[in-house]
Amino acid sequence: MPVSPKQARTLKHRSWVAFLVLPPIVFMSLFVVYPILSAFAYAFYEWRGLARGEFVGLANFREVLFGATMAPVVWNAFSHNVQTLIALMIIQNGGGFLLAWLLYKEPFGFRFHRVAVFVPVVLSTIIVGFLWKLFLNPNFGLVNQALLAVGLDFLARPWLGDSATALGALILANAWHFIGFPTLVYLAGMQRIPSDIIEAARLDGTSEWQLLKTIIWPLVAPSTTILFTLLFIGAFNWFEIPYVMAGLDGSPYGNTDVLGLVFYRTAFGNQSASIQNFGQGSALATLIFLFIVVFASMLTLWLRRREIQF
Amino acid sequence: MRELTMKLTRRMMMGAAMGGYLLSAGAAMAKTDLTFWSWRQEDRAFYTDMIKKFQEKEPEISVKFETYAPENYQTILSTALAAGRGPDVIQVRAYGNLETIATPGYLLALDKQNVPELANFPEAALAAETLRSDGKVYAVPFATQTMLVIYNKKIFADAGLKPPETWDELIAASQALKAKNITPFANGTATAWQNETIVAALLSSMLGKQFEEDIASGKANFTDPRYVNALSKLKDISQYFSPNFIGVDYASSQQLFAAGRAAMFAGGSFEVANFKAQNPGLDLGVFASPVGKAGDERLIARYYDGGYAVNAKSEKKDAALKFVRFLATPEYGTTFTNALKNLSPIKGIKIEDPLTQDVAKLADNSMSYLMLVRFRYQEPSGSVLLQSNVQKLLAGQQTPEQAAAEINKGIATYYKPFQK
Amino acid sequence: MTLSRETTMSRAISFGFLVQIILIMNSFIMLYPVVVMVFSAFKTTAQIFDHPFAVPDFTQVQNFSRVLGETSMPTYFMNSILVTGTSIVLILVLGTMAGYAIARYESRTNTFILLFFLAGLMLPLKLAVIPLFILLRDLHLLDSRWSLIVTYTAIGLPSAVFIMAGFLRSLPTELEDAARMDGASEPRIMWSVMLPLALPPMAIAAIQNAVPIWNDFFFPLVFIQTDSYKTLPQGLTTFMGEYTTDWGMLFAGLTIAAAPITLLYIALSRQFIQGMTAGAVK
Repeated sequence: MPVSPKQARTLKHRSWVAFLVLPPIVFMSLFVVYPILSAFAYAFYEWRGLARGEFVGLANFREVLFGATMAPVVWNAFSHNVQTLIALMIIQNGGGFLLAWLLYKEPFGFRFHRVAVFVPVVLSTIIVGFLWKLFLNPNFGLVNQALLAVGLDFLARPWLGDSATALGALILANAWHFIGFPTLVYLAGMQRIPSDIIEAARLDGTSEWQLLKTIIWPLVAPSTTILFTLLFIGAFNWFEIPYVMAGLDGSPYGNTDVLGLVFYRTAFGNQSASIQNFGQGSALATLIFLFIVVFASMLTLWLRRREIQF
Repeated sequence: MRELTMKLTRRMMMGAAMGGYLLSAGAAMAKTDLTFWSWRQEDRAFYTDMIKKFQEKEPEISVKFETYAPENYQTILSTALAAGRGPDVIQVRAYGNLETIATPGYLLALDKQNVPELANFPEAALAAETLRSDGKVYAVPFATQTMLVIYNKKIFADAGLKPPETWDELIAASQALKAKNITPFANGTATAWQNETIVAALLSSMLGKQFEEDIASGKANFTDPRYVNALSKLKDISQYFSPNFIGVDYASSQQLFAAGRAAMFAGGSFEVANFKAQNPGLDLGVFASPVGKAGDERLIARYYDGGYAVNAKSEKKDAALKFVRFLATPEYGTTFTNALKNLSPIKGIKIEDPLTQDVAKLADNSMSYLMLVRFRYQEPSGSVLLQSNVQKLLAGQQTPEQAAAEINKGIATYYKPFQK
Repeated sequence: MTLSRETTMSRAISFGFLVQIILIMNSFIMLYPVVVMVFSAFKTTAQIFDHPFAVPDFTQVQNFSRVLGETSMPTYFMNSILVTGTSIVLILVLGTMAGYAIARYESRTNTFILLFFLAGLMLPLKLAVIPLFILLRDLHLLDSRWSLIVTYTAIGLPSAVFIMAGFLRSLPTELEDAARMDGASEPRIMWSVMLPLALPPMAIAAIQNAVPIWNDFFFPLVFIQTDSYKTLPQGLTTFMGEYTTDWGMLFAGLTIAAAPITLLYIALSRQFIQGMTAGAVK
């Protein structure tokens, strides 16, 4: 049967569309879908270096979650990820909201401040990490030198070596790096609030605080949802800042250890332990991954519901 | 068209081969190209030189030296070997790291037949490159490392001090230095692995060879009074480390010592070359860890850094073995030691540099760098346990007893002699 | 009445004063570390230790000439440009193709394809680095710039698909229909009618991806071993390890590494901010 012109056109049309969508899909399948599915599969095998060994079922998961060697390390790291998330939620996202609100009022010089707050965001995390590591050096670093110069030398301490301050120092370095991001996202959210709503409220004699609480905060709820989700994913993937500033072992004695470092040490080894275990590494990656997906989607749904209520 | 190109290529190749044959004027064999991998980027000039020397003896073998960053070397190497590729000659590490690549059969076993030069090495050096499961040697050792105290001769002389022999003398010397506003030890504990080197450099004489034997046989474990006592001495001396030492990382402590701002550095003999490079004016000396009471044996902690191995899958094993045998000769060891200021384990080498001579003399009386030599084969590795628990001890967050118990608990999870 | 207005005004003034103080302090905290970094790059180590806050003699550029002359920093820099540039081109090409198909052609599979890319937007590929490592080894891409390029393209593609599809969907059909009436082929319509209109979202997709790619450290750390293939962030760790005791050099290295993107940002701050927050601002 000869092909009708219309059929020929749809055939041509279809192959054109296929030409457009297939390369991106194939690319994504090969370099995203396949590796992620494999990561799940790898976790069920024993590994000898880079060679896959026997199927061992859930043994790797059991070792990661409950094993005498791995579990204490993993749970210790996990608790640091949680602390980081909470601290950054307050300092980074909360501080960002506050700054955004100040900028939203368009005070004198707000354009300059808007550009300034975003400068650290464009810097590489590696640069930020090294910079603060040098600044926090106990004897020659800028921070202690500054405290000394203004007579607050009793506050000076070995920030990164003291177990009481090490994780906090990393969190503050991260907040310095990224606070510009939530600030400008919130600012964009505020600027999208129709100005007549605000003006009407002002005419009613609503105080600034009331305005902030009852109008601005609820109306930027979508930004809050997105920023929290991003922070959540970021906090449980945290790697660069601890790696550069505290080292692969989470020095001092595990006080800055986070899941990203544990994963890297397990999978790719470190100098002081000659073991490289892809099986346990994959199991840990799978668990982090599932944790992020399940919790991030639950939280997003919950926060979204909140958005509608207002 | 394709045929023509092929013909042309073939003719050209034949021409090139003929030309080469004519030029090499009677060379019986075609040239063999070996590849040689290493993580010692800083030693490139030395190895290039040695390869030239080797080629004077074996003109038909050429060696290509390639280096990779030390922190990734093990990964890239095992990747290549797992894929059935990799170099012909491999610089490998020792102990636990050697096992991860020797166990799957990636390396050629060496013996007195294929490498007669193994006779040039002390037993302990060969043991470092031996697989525990089959008792075979897989690499020719290349360097001895020692943990000891490096001191600044000028600062000591100015303060009227002599290198201490007993622990009490060390404390007295540190006090005297501190009274003069000189930092006695440049050391800091912020970098985890530094804690392991500090323990070995300062406490070996107090632990003693007998302690190591008892650990090996299971007669003692790490909760032994000797170990706990040594750790509490370490806690005492740590007040003489650099100011804010819990926040001072490896780089900062090196800097402090190299700048001549501290009198001593407890660490590896491999630091000497580094200090000299940063500050050629430094006049340095070395001494072994002080003894607990006069008359005890003075010891340094020793380990072997690694060795040269042959890839089991190499198609040029004969040539590779020739090269490895060359790397096991006393002549090579002598040049290695003198050029790199790094002690070769080969017997009968001639050392020029006086400081290296001192290190070699101290190395005659040694115990193992314990955690690396014996407890880096399984998780949790003894090194990781020691590093974090000593870091915690020196930060004042746990007692010597607690630190020793933690270390012991971790190792006992897999070390049979401790499980009784 | 007047009195209360005055108090309101004076309260507004003191509130405005507080706002100013907070904002100025904040900008100081944001910028001063960067300023100290640049200042220290012109000092020797001893000067940094003894006078950490002093303004340096800006004619002392030895640190910079040493970083550029005797280290591999220029190589790292070139690699970063090559890797970032190629990745962005691939992301834009593939992202525009998929985005165009989804936006401009009715199909039952469209939702499915969109969801497929949406999943890619949420999944942290970092955690799949082990299989990715083995896949790249099998493709003989490990320890090459391509290992980074394909990884970054895979990570950046979903966001580009979204930005492009979102924009292209908003374009009216009239132009397209008119061209179709004139007998223009589909590829031709895409290339000469629609795409010239889509340059602004392309710029946003490019900036949104370029900054994280330029700054990434994790994937080079795992994939790249050869020094001459390292990108700037990974090369920086090598450099920091080599010159660890020379603080003047360290700050000069950091300054040089930070300079290009910071200067670009200062010149194009509006586009940068818009691009980088594009994913989080609806």
